[in-house]
Amino acid sequence: MIRSFAVSTLTLLLCATAYAQTPAAAPAAAPAATPAAPAGDPAKGRELTRMCEGCHGIVGWRTAYPEVYRVPKLGGQHAAYIVQALHAYRNGDRSHPSMQAIAGSLSDQDMANLAAYFSQAGGATNTASK
Amino acid sequence: MMTRMQAVLLAVVVALTPALAFGADLVAGQEKVKQVCAACHGQDGNSQSADYPKLGGQYPDYLAKALHDYKSGARKNPIMAGFAATLTDKDIENVAAYFASQPPVLVTR
Repeated sequence: MIRSFAVSTLTLLLCATAYAQTPAAAPAAAPAATPAAPAGDPAKGRELTRMCEGCHGIVGWRTAYPEVYRVPKLGGQHAAYIVQALHAYRNGDRSHPSMQAIAGSLSDQDMANLAAYFSQAGGATNTASK
Repeated sequence: MMTRMQAVLLAVVVALTPALAFGADLVAGQEKVKQVCAACHGQDGNSQSADYPKLGGQYPDYLAKALHDYKSGARKNPIMAGFAATLTDKDIENVAAYFASQPPVLVTR
């Protein structure tokens, strides 16, 4: 009697734990690993680059605040990585005042479009296999 | 005879010297890249996986900043935090200079 009570209690506990974990685990894993990626349209991305080109579009341009370093080159970068970076600015995993403000103003579709645009350009070795 | 002022100046110069870059060591950078970075980013920084950024020809000061931020936790990425933690400041300088010296798969756009 005691044993069957213990078994059913344990079973209930396990079910409750599993139930509690399922909804919590799913949303946490999904956006972090692979953000649902809309297909990007490079032409639409081009229309959004006015906010990017003042820093990223000038060879050797340096940040002014809060640290000084040359603003990274984006042409030829993987689109998926550009989207990751924008998401990281938007959710606070990366911090830079301008980039956080800009990323916060972009929809997922905007990010995909910008990434498609920037990933198109590239150096001569962009398609090299090594 | 060294004046007190000269002595102070000399002390300041000696103290600051290690902080000034003597120039990165590209050979040491290449070796470190082979051990730590190449599996994902490619030996020349031309990553073939969309999840890992291309680094070839990127500005070295940006690459160094990224690595320092991963190391300090200012930039949050569990994978890179682990790798950056194994790098000294000198390693970071060398690795950044090495990737910057590689064929520019990245361009300003």
